[in-house]
Amino acid sequence: MYSTIKSIKGPLATGMLWAAILLFLTNCEVDDAQMLDQRDWQLVWSDDFDGALGQSPDPTKWTYDIGRGDNGWGNQELQTYTNRPENIGMDGKGNLVITARRETFAGAPFTSARIKTQGLFAQKYGRFEARMKTPYGPGLWPAFWMLGSNIETIGWPLCGEIDIMELRGQEPSIIAGTLHGPGYSGGAAISKNFSLGNGRFDTDFHLFAVEWGENYIDFFVDQVLYQRLTPADVTGEWVFDEPFFMLLNVAVGGNYVGFPISATPFPQTMVVDYVRVYKEKGQ
Amino acid sequence: MKNLYNHPFSYLLLSLIVLLVSCKRDLDELELATNPTTPEVFLDAFSAGLNYAAFGGSDVRAFQTDTEVKYQGTASMRIAVPDFEDPAGAYAGGVYFTSAPRDLSGYDALTFWAKASKSASIDLIGFGNDLGENKYQAAIAGLPVNTNWKKYYIPLPDAAKLTAERGMLFFSEGPEDGKGYTFWIDEVKFEKLGTIAHGRAAIMNGEAAKVNAETGNTFTVVGFSEFNLPNGVNQRVETAPAYFTFNSDNPSVATVGPTGQVKVMEAGTAVIKATLAGKDADGSLTITSTGEPVLPRTAAPTPDKPADKVISVFSNAYENVPVDFFNGYWQFSTAQTFDVKVEGDDIKRYTQLNFVGIQFTAPTIDASKKSHFHMDIWTPDQINPSTVFKILLVDLGPDGSFEGSDNSSFEVTIPSSMLRSESWISLDLPFSQFPGLTSRAHLAQIVLSGDLPNVFVDNIYFYDDGTGGVVPGPAVAAPNPTPLAANVISIFSDAYTNVAGTDFNPNWGQATVVTQELIAGNNTLKYNGLNYQGMQLGSSQNVSGMEFLHLDFWTKNSSALNVFLISPGPQEKAYALTVPTNGWSSVDIPLSAFGGVDLKDVIQFKFDGNGTIYLDNIYFYKKGSGGGGTTPTVAAPTPTRAAANVISLFSDAYTNVPVDTWRTDWSSAKLEDVTVAGNAVKKYSALDFVGIETVTNKVDATGMTHFHMDVWSPDFTLLGIKLVDFGADGAFGGGDDKEHQINIDAPAKGQWVSLDIPLSDFAGLTTRGHLAQYILVGQPTGANTVYVDNVYFYKTGGGGGATAPTTAAPTPALAPANVISLFSDAYTNVPVDTWRTDWSSATLEDVTIAGSAMKKYSALDFVGIETVANKINATEMTHFHIDVWSADFTFFGIKLVDFGADGAFGGGDDKEHQINIQAPAKGQWVSLDIPLSEFTGLTTRGHMSQYILVGQPTGTNTVFVDNVYFHK
Repeated sequence: MYSTIKSIKGPLATGMLWAAILLFLTNCEVDDAQMLDQRDWQLVWSDDFDGALGQSPDPTKWTYDIGRGDNGWGNQELQTYTNRPENIGMDGKGNLVITARRETFAGAPFTSARIKTQGLFAQKYGRFEARMKTPYGPGLWPAFWMLGSNIETIGWPLCGEIDIMELRGQEPSIIAGTLHGPGYSGGAAISKNFSLGNGRFDTDFHLFAVEWGENYIDFFVDQVLYQRLTPADVTGEWVFDEPFFMLLNVAVGGNYVGFPISATPFPQTMVVDYVRVYKEKGQ
Repeated sequence: MKNLYNHPFSYLLLSLIVLLVSCKRDLDELELATNPTTPEVFLDAFSAGLNYAAFGGSDVRAFQTDTEVKYQGTASMRIAVPDFEDPAGAYAGGVYFTSAPRDLSGYDALTFWAKASKSASIDLIGFGNDLGENKYQAAIAGLPVNTNWKKYYIPLPDAAKLTAERGMLFFSEGPEDGKGYTFWIDEVKFEKLGTIAHGRAAIMNGEAAKVNAETGNTFTVVGFSEFNLPNGVNQRVETAPAYFTFNSDNPSVATVGPTGQVKVMEAGTAVIKATLAGKDADGSLTITSTGEPVLPRTAAPTPDKPADKVISVFSNAYENVPVDFFNGYWQFSTAQTFDVKVEGDDIKRYTQLNFVGIQFTAPTIDASKKSHFHMDIWTPDQINPSTVFKILLVDLGPDGSFEGSDNSSFEVTIPSSMLRSESWISLDLPFSQFPGLTSRAHLAQIVLSGDLPNVFVDNIYFYDDGTGGVVPGPAVAAPNPTPLAANVISIFSDAYTNVAGTDFNPNWGQATVVTQELIAGNNTLKYNGLNYQGMQLGSSQNVSGMEFLHLDFWTKNSSALNVFLISPGPQEKAYALTVPTNGWSSVDIPLSAFGGVDLKDVIQFKFDGNGTIYLDNIYFYKKGSGGGGTTPTVAAPTPTRAAANVISLFSDAYTNVPVDTWRTDWSSAKLEDVTVAGNAVKKYSALDFVGIETVTNKVDATGMTHFHMDVWSPDFTLLGIKLVDFGADGAFGGGDDKEHQINIDAPAKGQWVSLDIPLSDFAGLTTRGHLAQYILVGQPTGANTVYVDNVYFYKTGGGGGATAPTTAAPTPALAPANVISLFSDAYTNVPVDTWRTDWSSATLEDVTIAGSAMKKYSALDFVGIETVANKINATEMTHFHIDVWSADFTFFGIKLVDFGADGAFGGGDDKEHQINIQAPAKGQWVSLDIPLSEFTGLTTRGHMSQYILVGQPTGTNTVFVDNVYFHK
């Protein structure tokens, strides 16, 4: 399958020009100055979540993280992850729904779900995208992200982490795209925000993507490139030349987002229309 | 909402407006095709066409512009909320409105920045108040503000409705806890944010409400809306009815108007729902109407009380007193009142009754000579087992005012068993059923409530049943007590000396009215309208030697009565008394019935229940008075003196010295070893005299001050005690024997008598280093029996002889920065590995005395305390401090050990030193504050690891320890 993602305005200009363009884009002025290489993307993996209401994710594509992890999955998150239909399943309308609930379960004050393609699918380079509508409210932390498949052998952050999108529920208009690696992980990660300004990510679907190749990773919201990261941008080793697998989750609390408050509305849902992965033709 | 301000000060207001409004135009005659969409309300000044009016009753000068404090630009709006009872006005409140309407339909929120001089909650703030019908009012109730500038959002519930709005902003805020304060608002404008999301609306609080009704009933449906703000938090908006579109699914049963007014038209069911901005609102109101109201078919029963015995509020049978109203339409009351006539009888009909007040204050009613309240009621409603009807009577007290502290009231609940559907019920309630109504000379209100929405009421009156309203008490005094005073601890009785200082009416929040009345010359305690009632004894009473609690009680109208004994904790235990009584009822409650209560420390009594109670002769007593009882039933009092101060010959409380014999063969008495209440006792019968000897191990009582012995006899008339010292030669005779006999005439019989005789009273006993004989003499000679326990010498001093401290150690006063504390409530303590190493020879208990945690070491030889895991660097410290208390130590040692640079025991670099304290003071806290320079062997102290405490007599002393720390 062939897909042209955007119109082409011209060749990629110098780095200085790039800086100007990015500055322009963070002011939410979109499109005119976008100058990108043309790429021919071929779909290699997808899930449109077309199952019946309540059906669990396709086990040939997704596996679960269950429980609370170590130290709240490393972030002091408050939820416990389950694979129960109360926390994850199809909505029967072509979407996957991850639901975070305020309920005591397995010793945790909240429940939610986290799925991943680890061991089932991983790829080096390409375009990775998900069309989603986020949850909202203080303490909610949805994310679509990737980890290096070698995490089991070399550990985090050496394996690298590409956060295609993550959002703080108290800022429903802002998402962040981020790279973590050796020397630039956690609070020192390389990150950039994208704000909708007069809109929110929880009211309509938006398309979140990275385009990743040798020595660059581009971050997109809808049709807008808002960040390109290259080895020159990271403050450590560039570790993004290995296959990565994808994750989707909704965390509650944690040191990225802060605690939910009593006024945080629950339950909260992340609705995912599809997840697609492309490879550049000829690669 | 309050009305537009109307007050002599209004000229001030008008002048203010004129000053502030520069672009005002009279647009009345212009018919604009579209209204202006101006978003600004107040940025640094009033926007075009904006006016201000303060609410009536508010402080009209509360609002001013402020050029000093502002979020942005040159000025803000300052609102000074007045104090409670400020003569200028009770609150701050007003409206900012435009002369010409604006089109706000393009916006989604009113936003502003606000801060306040203190954390507060603004009662109401919003827009849509135009000083007219306020059709599209929307507001936030209870907006929290604090001392920081923060942006606030008031979402527009349905912007499409706001094409011609004049109410730009309004607020209403009263004092916080009676105190005024100031808040500021700045940058007020309408905005199209695009980030106000997830709007929803609800009526009836989002619930599926149900109500039973009759034709003619009216209800109001109210709603709210809720939006998610840009910070992800939901905000509730109080939303005027006009935003909603209401709908009845069955208008023939119930109609609903545009402002949510529901009217019931006929029998049937109708569901009221609503939409807001085209979306269904949550919640509904389901009305089940039974149609035309059901009326009583007959008149209420005709009253039969003579008119001169009646004060009538509402009846055709009597002349009625003036009534202010039969329905005060009080806040939150939904009750409607109608006058109906059945068979010529006037009846009050209440519908939708949740509660309703009937009031008569001009004048109030004096029913002090009346005995009963009467009312006839009739209801068409179903009576379920849980259905109740309630009648509250309110008396204003002598001041005749609702204000003041002398009001009283009581609510009687009529249970379902006394209610009937569709029948007249005559309620005759004696005032004794209104115990909290402590006066009825200034009755002013009758409040009806309960579970009956439809009630017909007739014949409301107060009457006298011939008693004149006097509830008779007992005519005779309580029976005279019979136990001997010696066997009694009396709390309340004319027959005994009572425990001094008892408070018979401590304020524990009770409703009970306590009085003391003379009944046939006998002082009697009366509880009127008992709910519960305490007694605070003048001093703690040890009643462990008593057997019974005696009470006399009298009540005609109580259906429940319990008596409680209470010891500290509180530990309390109830005992149920049988009520009502037929005359005086006397009860002797075994003290064993008060399990859990510390009978050595009884501090309070409590009664609970209901009705009017008379009480007398409240006392503890034991049997075995002079004429009765030949053997003790309770043990002798347990000695309390510290063992260190005692040389005991015979006691379960101490280790006894060896005694050769408790009956020499030259004695004239019979000896038996018996047990009384688990306590070993010597019983001498047919007593003339008996010799007891410690010749083999003579007792050295030179350090002692007293001789103690507990004796109990049913029949002795004299007891003599002779002590004999055999002198330095240690043998009977030899010329150095010393002796003396003390005689006690007419000792108390039938109870334990504790003898504490100063040894100085034994005047002839000039030496007591070799005490060898103790001779007891009893009369009538050879015909009396004496039980003996707790024979010992003791000395006073040393802290009064207690075995444990009763007070906490002195609280340290040093600054924490100068202290390294191992154990103290006053400081944060460093980690201590153990307070008793396994190589110690002592028993450790953690105890709390007088609220202070401390370490108790008993059977102390030595004990090791270690901080090996977290060694203490005390090089900067100058002193080691420890507080110790012991009843019996004769020696106390403290060894400090530093493990040296290698951090381990041994290794050649350990340093240590022991300080010994000879004969430390006993029975008191001893604060040891030892300069570390005195630990001369402790040449390093950078790795303090061990602290060894040593006590003597070896293995038989007990030391309490607190406040262990280094300091400088």
